[in-house]
Amino acid sequence: MTKMQDEITPVVGNRSLTGGHYLLSLYSPRQARATRPGQFAMVRLPGRSDVLLRRPMSIYEVAQRSKHSKPEIIRLLYKIVGRGTRMMAELKPADRVGLIAPLGHGFFEEEYLARALEADEVLLVAGGIGIAALLMPARELAGRGIRATLFFGGRTKNDLAGLADFRRSIRTAVLSTEDGSRGHRGYVTEPLADYLHHHSKKRFLLMVCGPWPMLAASVALVQRYGHPCLVSMENRMGCGLGVCLGCSIRVDGTGHGAYERVCTEGPVFWAEKVAWNAEAPPKV
Amino acid sequence: MTASGTFGYGREFARLIDLNRLGGIVVKGISADPMEGNPPPRIYETEAGMLNAIGLQNVGAKKFLTEKLPFLRTLETRCVVNVFGYSTEDYVRCIEILNAGDGIDAYELNISCPNTRCGGMVYGNDPKLTEEVVRASKRAARFPLFVKLSPNVTDITELARVAEGSGADALSLVNTFVGMAVDIETRTPRLSNLTGGLSGPAIKPVALRMVYQVAQAVKIPVIGMGGIASAEDALEFLIAGAQAVQVGTANFYAPATAIDIVEGIRGFCRRKQIHLTDLIGSLKAAAGSAV
Ligand SMILES: Cc1cc2nc3c(=O)[nH]c(=O)nc-3n(C[C@H](O)[C@H](O)[C@H](O)COP(=O)(O)OP(=O)(O)OC[C@H]3O[C@@H](n4cnc5c(N)ncnc54)[C@H](O)[C@@H]3O)c2cc1C
Ligand SMILES: Cc1cc2nc3c(=O)[nH]c(=O)nc-3n(C[C@H](O)[C@H](O)[C@H](O)COP(=O)(O)O)c2cc1C
Ligand code: FES
Repeated sequence: MTKMQDEITPVVGNRSLTGGHYLLSLYSPRQARATRPGQFAMVRLPGRSDVLLRRPMSIYEVAQRSKHSKPEIIRLLYKIVGRGTRMMAELKPADRVGLIAPLGHGFFEEEYLARALEADEVLLVAGGIGIAALLMPARELAGRGIRATLFFGGRTKNDLAGLADFRRSIRTAVLSTEDGSRGHRGYVTEPLADYLHHHSKKRFLLMVCGPWPMLAASVALVQRYGHPCLVSMENRMGCGLGVCLGCSIRVDGTGHGAYERVCTEGPVFWAEKVAWNAEAPPKV
Repeated sequence: MTASGTFGYGREFARLIDLNRLGGIVVKGISADPMEGNPPPRIYETEAGMLNAIGLQNVGAKKFLTEKLPFLRTLETRCVVNVFGYSTEDYVRCIEILNAGDGIDAYELNISCPNTRCGGMVYGNDPKLTEEVVRASKRAARFPLFVKLSPNVTDITELARVAEGSGADALSLVNTFVGMAVDIETRTPRLSNLTGGLSGPAIKPVALRMVYQVAQAVKIPVIGMGGIASAEDALEFLIAGAQAVQVGTANFYAPATAIDIVEGIRGFCRRKQIHLTDLIGSLKAAAGSAV
């Protein structure tokens, strides 16, 4: 289990990026140091009874304030989609935010890592804000001498937030937008399908994060070739701590019964474990 | 105390707070056999509250004893096991299994479930069914029996009296209020189950009124809950007649709430130089007021 902590953290920055995306920086040394790639945080806006529950957010990156210090800052990349994220966008330096972090099982559990090191190539696949879960994995891989290929899709070029941060850690980025404003015109799964087809001899490992339909399409594709695939799932969360059972998704027969909690057993699962033909979690 | 379904089996919070500073932990509802629960979406946030339709997912009584109770036993905190079923036999069977568990301090009977034998009639809405299930459970139970009342009734005091008359040692109230929410874009319900239970600060005034009424109507202790998130909230319930309180939804966003409440009440009593027992039920009713 993770070394999660409940802290009140000061905002040290909240930068507006393209297309309603923001990058929130929080000063929280203990949590930053405990974070592993693919884990998430539960964010609380104190004193707001209209945004009662905490909001789950992937930990985008942890950063140090000076070159030689240890990580002290947690950054969250988020997109305004409703009340809570709108309020987050109004945060200013010195405001305080409640943060429970780090939470969940990320991309680098022991069993996952062994598979990554075995693969000829690692493919990171992101749909929209799903990119937020993949920067830390990209850096972790780079640190181990593995340069991943990133497939990144969004509706328009404004949805491709954070791309520049990947440049130094990945081999190359294959972009797509539904309106064709940047890269391939269409879904992210189309260039991915081509790539898998053209390299059918290679052994890949995939790490995928995005909305349910994009996850389901990617997994269907990947399973045709039998490549191991890790998915980072989303669902509404009441607590993020494993107690409300609000985030459960259907899985195919495991020790925990037919449902597992995204916040605790996940958010990262082996793709074959998730029951893709079951009810999709809410589109939010 | 922490309310059922909002604190897991205790262990989940062990890393965040000192569990020994809690008065008691009421664990997630347990049934004789394990249950899967409802498909997603199971929760939806509303104004100052939330709707849930978890579907009573739980590990079942046997696994509770072997996998969950041993940890709870290591705590000094009291352990109350919330019990539910779909027939009186279910309740009794669950209690009989749990009776083997040393370290349980009380049962809390959740009677807000539909009774399958009676065509889905909800136990907590029907005085006859309430009497039947409370009597049978009391007879089976090796530990004290709390009965948790549903607020989705016309007159909660009637059910409260029935539960008292059938042997309940204490009453807890309230459970969640049945509600719903609609996505106007897709014209679909926000929860897979269509309806769900409303909890959180939004329900506090109604819960408080019910606790007050029930405390007036019965002699056994009343445990109050519904939207409690601060010491001030808890004090309102105590003054209205509750002997103890439970914290539910607030645990989700502020896990230290129950501990902060204990501290806050202690501070309040010190400031007012009053003993807690003198506060309980000390509401000064306005002249001519009636509920
Ligand atoms: C593990 C995980 C990691 C996430 N990481 C990020 C991230 O890095 N960046 C980012 O922008 N978003 C992320 N999300 C989605 C983010 O949590 C939601 O966009 C956010 O909760 C919306 O809140 P709101 O108040 O603005 O929207 P509202 O629509 O007003 O929210 C209402 C309710 O729905 C829930 N909700 C709404 N959308 C989602 C969603 N997509 N997933 C889960 N719950 C939702 C809210 O938490 C809240 O309870 C993540 C979700 C999960 C589960
Ligand atoms: C997610 C969730 C799950 C719950 N599960 C149970 C349960 O299993 N058994 C039960 O008796 N009450 C259950 N409850 C009801 C709470 O114990 C409590 O009575 C109710 O939420 C009101 O208190 P609150 O407003 O402080 O949350 C649940 C509530 C929530 C929000
Ligand atoms: S969010 Fe509450 S159990 Fe996962």
